[in-house]
Formats: sequence, C-alpha cells, structure tokens
Amino acid sequence: MSNSADLERGYRRVLACYPRAFRQENEDEILGVLMDTAEEGQRRVGLAEAAALIRGALRMRLRPGPGRPPRTVSAAVRLMCIGAAVELAALATLVATMGSLKAAVLARDPAQWHTALLMLTAKEVFAPIGIALWLWLAWANGRGHDWARLIFTWFFGLFTVSLLIALAQHAAVYAPADLAALTALWLVALASVVLIFSKASRPYYRQEPGERMRAAG
Amino acid sequence: MQEATFLILTALADGSQHGYGIITEVKQISDGRVRLRAGTLYTALDRLRADGLVTVDREEIVDNRLRRYYRLTPAGAALLAAEAARMQANAHAAMARLNPLGAVT
Repeated sequence: MSNSADLERGYRRVLACYPRAFRQENEDEILGVLMDTAEEGQRRVGLAEAAALIRGALRMRLRPGPGRPPRTVSAAVRLMCIGAAVELAALATLVATMGSLKAAVLARDPAQWHTALLMLTAKEVFAPIGIALWLWLAWANGRGHDWARLIFTWFFGLFTVSLLIALAQHAAVYAPADLAALTALWLVALASVVLIFSKASRPYYRQEPGERMRAAG
Repeated sequence: MQEATFLILTALADGSQHGYGIITEVKQISDGRVRLRAGTLYTALDRLRADGLVTVDREEIVDNRLRRYYRLTPAGAALLAAEAARMQANAHAAMARLNPLGAVT
C-alpha cells in the first residue's frame, strides 16, 4: 500500500510540469494509467516514464496557442528547441570532461590556469541560463509575441559578437570542439532569425492576441 | 504522421478504448515493438482531440478513478484510412523495386 502511495506521489510531482488546465482535466486519469502500467511493488518513478512525461509537458507548453502559426514559425520554434538541446549536450560534455580539461590546461599552459578555470566555471554557470533562454524564446515566438523575435535577434547579435571575439582570441587553437559547438549553435540561431523575419511569418506576429483567438474560433 | 499517432488511431479503429487499453492494444498491434508511455499517449491524445480526430466516448469511475473511453471521429477514421493507403502504396512500391521479377516475396 505504501509502495503505491510513494509511487503515486512521485508521479504527481512529475505531472506538476504540465499546464494547470491540462492537469485539472487529465491528471487523475493519467495517474490511473501510470499506476496500471507500473510493475508489481514498484516504488520509484520509472526513468522512461518520467522522460516521456517531461517530453510531453515540454511539447505541450511550447505548443503554439490557438491559431496555427505558419510553417516558418513552427520551424523556428523547433530550431530553438534544438538550440537548447545542443547547449544541454555541450554542458553535459563539459561537466563530464571537466577533470581532463583542467589537466590538459595545466600541462600545456600553466600560466593560463586561472583564466581557463574562470572561463570553464563561467560556462557552467551560464549554460543553464542559455538553455532556459532558448526554451523561453521558443515558447514566446510560438505564441507570436512580436517582442520575442526582437529579443531573440538581440541575443543573436550578442552571440555573433562573442563568437567573433572568441575567434579573434584564437579559440580555434585551444578548443576546436568548443568552437565547433558554438558555430553549430550560431547557425541554428541564424536560421531561426531568418525564419521568424521571413515574409511568411510576418502576419502571424502582427496579429493581436485577441484576433488570433477569434481566428481560431 | 508519427508512428505513435498512427498506432493510437489504429488502436481506436475498431471501437472505443480507455488509456490503458490503448497502450496494450498498441503493444499488440506492433508485435511488442512499441511500448507507448503514458506521457506520450496523453500528449498525443490532447493534440488529436484538439484537431477533432479523436473524441471522448464516455466516462466511468473505476476504483475511485476517472476512466475515459476514446473513439475516432469520422475525420479521424478518414485520416487513418488515407495514411494507411499511403503507407501501403509506399510499401508496395518498395517491394516491387526490391523484387522486380516478383520471384521472391
């Protein structure tokens, strides 16, 4: 009995990721299915189940509101999610290889040790913010907020400048993999900017939210 | 159409099902290959309902829990039929090209 109560509490915690309106209508039912599919005596939330639930919640939250956006905007939203995923992968790689990275810097260039350590730590701190930023802008652009594409473009400009600075500092010599990841991210961002400012996207951003609701009827 | 969506619609093709029923049906239809997760199922159902392809057939209370039965709408059935025909045509074309003489099947 307490096993299933533990399990149910765990699933409730994961389900909290979903939008409130969806939860009110479906939480009870989904919990029932989750409990039905659980193993006998299972106490902890299954990893695959949790992953599917979180993926579903993300998809639901990033799903554009009423009134379908044009293909260009949906593609941009998808690209921004890819941007978040690339950044997450880069962060995971950095965390996993932190030890050997430090050793490499120490062996090759002890004079740069402090700078390198500072930069690595800064990357660890800023990457989660970057991921959140990608997802937030994906959500806002999917809903057709005009400010969202301006903010995205502003960050894209900032990104471009920092990439150029990294190139000027011969980052290619020190961290080719890092530079490759940055360039890939930059290309994703560039494609997103082109898409959200394309002719096909324009009417979607120009619509007032109320208008969009009415259009969806 | 994603495979999960196709299998969910297929599971509902011959009558209404509740969530757990859809999961077991999908497993059976796919020969145990596709294990549909609750998160995937309900995200897909939410979309399918919004698109008018699936609707709630009836609700029951079982063990103090709400149980909804879902069924295909006519639009959902038409879409599934079109998608199945398209896949059949593709599969047929692939087989025909692999065995131009029709010797091996």
